[in-house]
Amino acid sequence: MTPLERAEARFGWKLVAPTILILSLLILYPLMYNVYLSFFDVQLNGNKHFVGFENYIKLLSNPDYYAAMWTTALYLLGTVIGTTVLGLAMALLLREPFKGRGLVNAAIMLPYVAPVISVVFGWQFLFDPISGVVNYLLVDVFHIWSERANLIGDPDSALGVVILFDIWKHAPIAYMLILSKLVSISRDQYEAASIDGYGPIGRFFHVTLPELHFVLATVVLLRLIWNLNRFEDVYLLAPNVQTLPIFTYYQAFTGVIDQGLAAATSVIQLAVLCVFIWFYIKKIMKW
Amino acid sequence: MLGKRTLKGRIGFVIAVTLLVSFSLLPFAQIMSTSLKHQFDWGNPSLIPQVINLDAYKELLGLTEAKEVEIPVAIQKILDNPKLPKAKRDAIAAKFVSNDNLFPFGKYMLNSIVLSVGAASISLVFSIMGAYSISRLRFKGQVVIQRSVLFVYMVGGVLLMVPLYQMAMNLGLASSMWGSVFCLFVIYIVQTLPVGMYMLGNYFRGIPFALEEAAMMDGCSRQEAIIKVVLPLSLPMLATVFIYCFIIGWNEYLFASVFLKQYPEFHTLPLALQELFVSKNAIWDRIMAASMLTLAPIVICFLFASRFMKGGKTDGGVKG
Repeated sequence: MTPLERAEARFGWKLVAPTILILSLLILYPLMYNVYLSFFDVQLNGNKHFVGFENYIKLLSNPDYYAAMWTTALYLLGTVIGTTVLGLAMALLLREPFKGRGLVNAAIMLPYVAPVISVVFGWQFLFDPISGVVNYLLVDVFHIWSERANLIGDPDSALGVVILFDIWKHAPIAYMLILSKLVSISRDQYEAASIDGYGPIGRFFHVTLPELHFVLATVVLLRLIWNLNRFEDVYLLAPNVQTLPIFTYYQAFTGVIDQGLAAATSVIQLAVLCVFIWFYIKKIMKW
Repeated sequence: MLGKRTLKGRIGFVIAVTLLVSFSLLPFAQIMSTSLKHQFDWGNPSLIPQVINLDAYKELLGLTEAKEVEIPVAIQKILDNPKLPKAKRDAIAAKFVSNDNLFPFGKYMLNSIVLSVGAASISLVFSIMGAYSISRLRFKGQVVIQRSVLFVYMVGGVLLMVPLYQMAMNLGLASSMWGSVFCLFVIYIVQTLPVGMYMLGNYFRGIPFALEEAAMMDGCSRQEAIIKVVLPLSLPMLATVFIYCFIIGWNEYLFASVFLKQYPEFHTLPLALQELFVSKNAIWDRIMAASMLTLAPIVICFLFASRFMKGGKTDGGVKG
């Protein structure tokens, strides 16, 4: 190592040191501390005593936990498919430049940038059984249902609302990712496919989709990673939909508080998250 | 490809785009409409208010005149009693005045601004240093750090709430007011730092090294080269990163609810709005007006940031 290289290395470490310190102290250490806590009975005030695997046993024998897992699975399935399909449809629709595309883009991106808290009440109002426009349309205009329903009040239908909300909010980011790949597909490929006798649908399956499969995989994995831990969007819109993060939150901070149990759920969730991240790193980042 | 050249195709295209835009904007239209409606108008499905009502905005922004509160005669008698100590009299009188503004929106907004701007600023400084280091300098362990940042970035707050709360408890921070505020502030820095580093790292890699080299040949040190060449070149990106960090803090609810629930004077906007909604004096027009006002700074920031994000090349790294 030349002195110059050594100086560069020293400078590099100096610059990155505060970040390393902060991130290890407040993210990596807590993740490990969380594993430690999951073996204790932990009170809100910090008192704890060792219980071994009891938290895990309690957790795995709790039917509510399996219900939360099932809800999370449905939530992930619905949001991943919905976001990807809508994002793809949006990208296909808007790929060619047209007059006013900038405005349309801004309108589409708005749900993505809007703070969750500022839009959930609008959604609550849309689905409100008395004043909401959804009930008005379905019951009074189209007569699809015979009477008004509280869609957010009932956990089963609320899950659907929460999924729709997530699709509305995150399809724009899928759209952006897919569009940036879509516009890079060369016209020659489409022309070649036309000469081979493929119509628009054939061209979509033989040219567009194969070109997009990588970016679609990226979208799916990123949605899985972010949505597994999604808290605000679900809790603020419909607190009765218990996905795993909300289940954990209730365990840790409300009702009969059991922070050790909450730590145990977080540990299991982290393990699942790590699988997703591993896939992302291996398949997408190609490390 | 969708056959836009035919008339039928063109009509179909316009209908599809209209539907898409309506789907995106309907909730916003609903929020704005309800915030401007009188109570008798709420059940009316039309988005256009029959009469425009600005009272909710006036009330939230503190533009209404302080209402004269009627003090009941019996209480007034007690207050007039000269034997009553002054402190006590003021306390009783205050009870009849403080009800006046149930929702000090300005205060919550200020809390949110201080927390998110402060955290975003500090986070930006550290991200610049860290991102420069891992993208431009060569040293052992650099790759490991780079990858850890990506990993850390993807770990959600939900997985950290219990251990962070327990750590704050062990240090005695969570039981005091300022300690809790401090914890939240630090957590916001932690939550935004990986994003900033990730975005800036990608950006710095794209700046030609020759520029810096030229500056160093002219006698600048490495630090000077960074300050005089790299940072001015990345100004748009720095603004974008700052705005992203700011938005993360502005939107955050989970940790605010964990640490600040018992200290109403430090509530941030998301927390305050949620409490207002849950409390039964929730009034739709006020809630919607508050939503609009929470949304406004973000929309302004977004319009500003989108001018810099050419073609939306965010590299899939953007949180959401």
